[in-house]
Amino acid sequence: MLFQARSRLALGALALVGALLVSACTGAAQPSGSPVASAQAAPVAGGTVTIPIGADPTLNPWSPNAFVESLFINRAIFEGVTKPGKDLAPAPDLAESWTTAADGLSWTFKLRSGVKWSDGSPFSADDVAFTFNDVVLKPDLGAQNRASYAAVKSVTAVDPNTVRFDLSRKFAALPSFLAYNAGILPKHVLAANPLTTTSFNKGVPVSTGPFKVEKYTSGQSVSLVRNDNYFGPKAYLDKVVFTVVPDPNTQVAQALSGDISIMILDNKAAVDRVKTAPGLLVASRPLVQYYWLALNQTDPRFTDVRVRQAFVYAIDRQAIIKSVELGYGSIANSPITPALAAYYDPSLASKYPYDPQKAKDLLTAAGWKAGADGVMQKDGKPFQFTMDVGQRGVLEPVNALIQQDLKKVGVIADLNTMEWNSYIQKDVVRRDYSATVNWWTYPSDPDVFPYYHSSAAGKGFNIPGYQDPKLDDLLVQGQSASDLESRKAVYKQLQAYTSETLPYLFLWYPQEIDVISTSLKGVPELGLRDAMHYLGEWWLAKK
Amino acid sequence: MIVFASALTFFFVNLAPGGPASIMRFDVSAEQREALIRLMGLDRPVPQRYLEWLAGALRGYLGTSLLTNEPVAARIGDRLPNTLTLAGSALLISVVLGIPIGVVQAMRRGRAIDHVLSLLTAVGLSVPVFWLGIILILVFAVSLHVLPSAGVTSVSSDTLGDRLAHLVLPAVALATTILPTVVRFTRSSMIEVLHEDYVRTATSKGLPPSTVMTRHALRNALIPVVSAVGALVPRLIGGTVVTEAVFGWPGMGRLALEAAQGRDYPLVTGLTVVVAAIAVLASLLVDLAYTRIDPRVRLA
Repeated sequence: MLFQARSRLALGALALVGALLVSACTGAAQPSGSPVASAQAAPVAGGTVTIPIGADPTLNPWSPNAFVESLFINRAIFEGVTKPGKDLAPAPDLAESWTTAADGLSWTFKLRSGVKWSDGSPFSADDVAFTFNDVVLKPDLGAQNRASYAAVKSVTAVDPNTVRFDLSRKFAALPSFLAYNAGILPKHVLAANPLTTTSFNKGVPVSTGPFKVEKYTSGQSVSLVRNDNYFGPKAYLDKVVFTVVPDPNTQVAQALSGDISIMILDNKAAVDRVKTAPGLLVASRPLVQYYWLALNQTDPRFTDVRVRQAFVYAIDRQAIIKSVELGYGSIANSPITPALAAYYDPSLASKYPYDPQKAKDLLTAAGWKAGADGVMQKDGKPFQFTMDVGQRGVLEPVNALIQQDLKKVGVIADLNTMEWNSYIQKDVVRRDYSATVNWWTYPSDPDVFPYYHSSAAGKGFNIPGYQDPKLDDLLVQGQSASDLESRKAVYKQLQAYTSETLPYLFLWYPQEIDVISTSLKGVPELGLRDAMHYLGEWWLAKK
Repeated sequence: MIVFASALTFFFVNLAPGGPASIMRFDVSAEQREALIRLMGLDRPVPQRYLEWLAGALRGYLGTSLLTNEPVAARIGDRLPNTLTLAGSALLISVVLGIPIGVVQAMRRGRAIDHVLSLLTAVGLSVPVFWLGIILILVFAVSLHVLPSAGVTSVSSDTLGDRLAHLVLPAVALATTILPTVVRFTRSSMIEVLHEDYVRTATSKGLPPSTVMTRHALRNALIPVVSAVGALVPRLIGGTVVTEAVFGWPGMGRLALEAAQGRDYPLVTGLTVVVAAIAVLASLLVDLAYTRIDPRVRLA
């Protein structure tokens, strides 16, 4: 039955294409979709914005049940110590400024004064200390993202407006990590039960942002209204409604019928249909995300760097971007994405052109010889392995393309398609796999220590289990360097080194496609989930 | 029987590969995973957990959802009325439309109208619900703007008229999962009955054709149709999974999908118990309906 889900998506897309005919009959198909270049009008207050989400959210950023659909609302209502700036660098949120100690082993954040919770209670440094000491750092609670704070020993409220993070090792990326799904929780509400209070997680939570929850209707919608206790300028919108619409094709249909103000277009096949619709804009947005192919380093065939490089030459990544992402993406050769503009090294983009001959040469150099059937062999054994495919997003078509590309250089990859949950258990929990494609999304910082350090092999997020003292050294240097210039220098080296050694085989950096109503203004040019941090600045032009 | 269904489900879902969605995530460390398994009590053996669940269930407590920490009964109770409304409307549409169509076909057997309606039922049988659903949304919500595209109510207004408008498209889409079967059963059953001696007798007695049709033919032809409709109820419930996803309908079908994908063991078990109870109830209702239409069956 889960297999049907894919073909259902494809058929639904077909129906949407067919809808061109329907709308042509009823008229009103004038070209639009070009970015609005007219003079910037002054923002006006009022109006309701509607945004679709795929499932019921959990309104608590640290709950292990807060999945991707929860990010929209949690980023809009809860505030962190910092938030991602419009350039994705950490920007003030509840904190106004921050400094690190000379030894790099603590960070001190100066908090805003006069901040109140949506129920009118005062916010203070105690809430920050509570969120970390009593929730995130408590191992028994299993809080989401707690692995990101392994370097944090404790958090101290120095005075009501000052909070200090004490570290066990240097952690230069802390301000960036605090901007990433790290909303501060109200101590006066959640002291007894921080992660499983239903009236909070599935009801009306107490928060500090420009909006607060008005009503949570399970399975249907969550509506937000202005938070009159917000410390900053009043939000323009009267109301923001998140409707629960699980089917991505229905979401597109709702955008076409004008029921939705802004959404992420998950089904990129519908992009041309949406582009021609009146009243809608299509925009591509940067993401801190990259797709990779992990080759399990416990398999001796994959420990030879020439084999990994051969695979990257063999895979036509531009063709994958074109056919699967409809061009919305760029080739990746390192874990640092172009969205992190201050750190990204564009000179690596052309490092591995599609070159099957070069791939064969590298495999030959690594001791593989083509047999009579064209399949590469070593010690009489063919180069054959299984790639586990999780059923989610674009993974199935991508794996099929990679399989074909590898076959052209004499490598046989058998695809084993699995339901997502079972796939995670086999490949991530048990690490019982040879090769698999997936992606990482991470905080807006080049500190990729958790995904590459040898200490994270086997049990942590180092999925291929690649271990390399030189890479470890670079990762630690990156965490220790305190100023921007020295961090840039370290992460430039790290990009060059990982592109050469290929701990993961880097595939591509995806872009998000957002569909936006032409009357909606003030949305920053960020991925929609990041733009939620700026919901107070959104406004609706009068029609 | 319901206890048996609950035991079977409990053991099967617990033995299925994977685990609760909160621990089967890419971005959960091994240490977090172990802490969550302990918190959810999943480190204890399955038989022990089942007995505890059963003890609770017998006292009316169906357990706590692993995905939301809410009581399972509350989550189901929240969604059950929506699914009953949707499935009931679809059933009503299927019966109200399906039986007359089948009768018309039987009476005009072999004529053009019979062929056209047969073709339509064949199409109805082969069109997948999710596809039909999207087409209905595109035509009636996107192009014609006459009906809402998804949800049970509008966010701003919650009136009876608004609720009915939201019900139309999903009920029609869901009805297509069983309507063609109802039509086919009625048609073949009616054709069979029309050849029976008692129908010929009634006609030769000089009774008007309408009386023959309703009192003699249709009443007898309906007996197998009623049992067919009873047997179609599980298919209808199954159809809600897709229909509810397409139309953003907050019912049990969607809940079941989320529960299964997220390996919410208590919720899956609770849903199975409720659906089993509905199936039992449906067959009971069919038996009762027999006593009304079949003169040979009387409650003792």
